[in-house]
Amino acid sequence: MNEKILLVDDEIDFLDVLSEFLMDEGYHVSCARDGNEALDKLSKEKFDLLLSDINMPGMKGFELIKESGRLYPATKTALITAYDVRDYLYMAKHYGIGNIITKTTPFNFEEVRLLVKNILTEDVFGLDRYMHGEIHSAKIRSTNEIEGIIQKIVADMPDTRHKRKFRQVLNEIIINAVYYGARQERGDRKELWPQVVELTPSEEILIQWGTDEEKTGVAVRDQKGILTKEEVLYWLERNTTKGDNGVSIGLLDEHGKGLFISRETIDRFIMNVKKGSKTEIVMLNYNEGLYDGYRPLWIHEF
Amino acid sequence: MAIANVLLVGITLPEFNSQCASHGYVPLMVDDIPAMLNVEAPISVVLIAQDLIGDALPADMERLYFLASGAPIAAFLTDLEHISEGLMRALDEGTLDRVYGYEVGLGLAVGSIDRMYLTACLDTSVRAYQKNSGENEILHREINLRNKVLDHERELNANITGSITSGLVIIDLVGNIFLINEFARKHLRIEATDIMGVPFRQVFPEKVCRFMDNSLKKMNAQWRRHEMKKITIEEAVLEIAAYRMNDYGKQPTGMLMIINDITDQENTTAQLFRSEKLATVGTMLSGIAHELRNPLSIISARSQMALKKEDWDKPWAIKNFESIDAQVNRCASIINSLLDFTRYKATKPGQHKVGEILDETLTYVEYQNIFDSITVEKTYEEGLLVYGDRSRFVQIFLNIILNAADAMSGKGVLTLSTKSDEHGQVLVEVHDTGSGIDATVKDRIFDPFFTTKEPGKGTGLGLAVAYKIVQESGGELWFTSEPHNTTFFVRLSSGKRKGL
Repeated sequence: MNEKILLVDDEIDFLDVLSEFLMDEGYHVSCARDGNEALDKLSKEKFDLLLSDINMPGMKGFELIKESGRLYPATKTALITAYDVRDYLYMAKHYGIGNIITKTTPFNFEEVRLLVKNILTEDVFGLDRYMHGEIHSAKIRSTNEIEGIIQKIVADMPDTRHKRKFRQVLNEIIINAVYYGARQERGDRKELWPQVVELTPSEEILIQWGTDEEKTGVAVRDQKGILTKEEVLYWLERNTTKGDNGVSIGLLDEHGKGLFISRETIDRFIMNVKKGSKTEIVMLNYNEGLYDGYRPLWIHEF
Repeated sequence: MAIANVLLVGITLPEFNSQCASHGYVPLMVDDIPAMLNVEAPISVVLIAQDLIGDALPADMERLYFLASGAPIAAFLTDLEHISEGLMRALDEGTLDRVYGYEVGLGLAVGSIDRMYLTACLDTSVRAYQKNSGENEILHREINLRNKVLDHERELNANITGSITSGLVIIDLVGNIFLINEFARKHLRIEATDIMGVPFRQVFPEKVCRFMDNSLKKMNAQWRRHEMKKITIEEAVLEIAAYRMNDYGKQPTGMLMIINDITDQENTTAQLFRSEKLATVGTMLSGIAHELRNPLSIISARSQMALKKEDWDKPWAIKNFESIDAQVNRCASIINSLLDFTRYKATKPGQHKVGEILDETLTYVEYQNIFDSITVEKTYEEGLLVYGDRSRFVQIFLNIILNAADAMSGKGVLTLSTKSDEHGQVLVEVHDTGSGIDATVKDRIFDPFFTTKEPGKGTGLGLAVAYKIVQESGGELWFTSEPHNTTFFVRLSSGKRKGL
C-alpha cells in the first residue's frame, strides 16, 4: 500500500483524528487547513488521493477538487462533509463528483476505510468487502426467477423496520438491472418491456446477499456496465431540486425516480461501474438506529 | 298673501328692492353679518354678498346665521345683477316647487350660484314662512307627509341596526342610551330590555363602562376622533370602537360605538402566532443541529479511537470513554429527532380506522417497563375513520401516550376513547390519572424543548411534534388538566381535506 493521501479540513481536530486513523490503516497522510495550502502541497508532492472537507473558509471543497483535477488528473478525489449530502447533489453533478463521505455520529470509520480503499484500488466489486458474515449468491437467468430470489433474500433478513421497504427497493433494482442494465431496454418505455424473458449468459444478473452483526447487504451486478455516474447524478439531482411549484423537477419524469427513492430508502446505496464491463449496486441497511442521519454519495466509475 | 321678508346682507340693489316689493316680498337690508343678529323680523331668505363671506367656512356662516335668526335658509350670492330678473320671473310663474323640495331651503350656495338653485331656495323658503304664518291646510299635509317619511325612515333604521352583524350603540352627551341594537345588547350581556334613555353606567358591563368613560373624556379634552379597545366578556373577545358624533357644526352631540365579535379571529391569530413561532424555532434548531454534527462526529471518532487503543488497560479510562461514546450517540439521536421535526416529510395519506391506529401505537409502548403498572382501558366507537398518513398518526398518539405514562410515573389508568363529534370529525381522548399539568406551564407544553421531566428523561419535543403533526393534518390538539384527571383531545378529519 503506502498510498499518499492529502487531507483538507479547516477543523484541526478532525484532521488530527482522521489522519491518525488513516495512518493506522497504513497510508501516508498529509494535512492542509484550507484550499490554498492544499494546492501548495499538491504542487510539491504527488498524492494518490485528495480528501477534502466541503465547507471551508475561502476556497470550497468543490473548487479545490476541480482545480486539483485540472492540474493533477492522476490524483483521485473525494469530499467529506457533516452536512446533508442531498443539498450538495447539484454541485456534485456540476463538478462530476461521485464520492462524498459523511461525518456521521457515531463516526463510521469502517465506511471511511472502505471508501478510501475502493477509490484507491478500484477494486470495488463484490459484497464480501462490505460484510463480515457469510455471503449467499444466486444468478438470475430468467425474469421468472426474480420473485423467487427476492423471497429468498427477504427470508434471510433480520426483522427490522426496514424489511418491507428493502423488499420494494430490491424489486425495483433487480428489474432495472435485468431490463435496463443487461438487456438495455429503454428506461422510459417500461410498458413495452416483455413480461417473461430468458436471459443469455452475458445478460445474467449476479445477486449476493448476507447479514452481519450490524447490517444487511445485497449486491446486484450486471455484465454490461452501461450505467454512468453522469446519468446517476442527473437523476438524483432532478429529484432533489425543487421547481417553482415546490415539487422536485424530476417528479414527472418517466424514469429515474426509482433510483432516487431507492437511495433515499436504503442507508447506503453504492454504485460501482466498470464501463462496458459491469455495473454493481450495493445496498446496505444498518440495524435500528445505527448511523441514522446523512448518507454519503458513493459512486465509483472507472 | 302673507308678508315674506328677504334679508339682504351687504347688498344694495335698488332695482331688486323694487321688484321684491311689487311681488309681495319685503326686502330688509343690513350692512354686515354681525348686524344680522339685530334683525328682529322673521326672515325667510337671506342673501349675503360674497365679499362679506370672504374666507369664512361656509359651515360657520350657516351656523352663525341659523343661530341669529332661527330662519332655516341661507343663500350666498356673488352676482345678483345677473340673477335678479330671472329669479323674480321664476317666482312669479311658480315654476320652482316641482324642481326642488322643502329641504333645499337649508342648502348653502357659495360662489357662482346657479340661478335655478337660488330661486328654488327663495321660493321654498317663502312657502315655509307662509306655513308658519298659519296656512294650516298646507301645513297639515306637509306634516302628514313628513310623518310618513319619518315612519319609513324609522323602520329602515330599525332594519339596518337589527341586520348588521356588529353592535351599534349611541349615547348622548350626558351618557344616556339613545340607541342600542340587538347585537350589542346580546354581546354586552345586557338582560334588561327597556333601556332607552337609561344611563349606560347602570346597564353596561363594568369593563365597557370604563372604556366609555375614558373615551368620552378623551373626546372632550383632546378632541380625539375615535378610540378602540379589545374587551373580553365571558370568553368572547369584542373589539369596541367609539366615535365622537357631531352635528353639522362639528359640535359633539354624543358618542357612537361599533362592537365586533373577533373571538374566532383572535383564536386564529393565537394559533398563527404559535405556528409562526414553531416555524422560527424549527429553522433555528435545524441550523444548530447541522452545526452540531461536526463537533459530535469528531468526539465520536476520538472516543472510538481511544477505545480501540490496545495499551489502555485501565478500567477507569474505558468506563469514561464508553460514557463519552454513549452520550455523544444520545446527542446525535436528539439531533436526528430534531431534524425529523423540522424537515418536511412527504406523506401518503389514506383512510384508517382510528381504533387500529391507537392499538398499533400501544404495541410500540406497552412492552416498556413504565407500562407494567398502568392499566389501559379502551372505549372505541365502531367504524371511525381518519384521513391522513398512518405513521404520522401513530407519532401523534405515541407522544401523547408516552407523556401520559410519564405523568402517571408508571402507575394508574390510561383511558383511550374515540367518538365522532357534531361536525362528523373524529375526536380521540387520551385520559390519564397522573399528576396533572400545572397551571403555570399550561401555555408552554407544546413548545419545543419544554419539559417538566428531570434532566435526561425527555427531550421536550414529544408534544411539540404531536402538535405540529396534528396541525399539519388540519386537526386540533388541546387538553384539560387537573390532578389525577388530565385529558388530551385530538380532533382529526375523517375525510379528504379540500385542496389536498
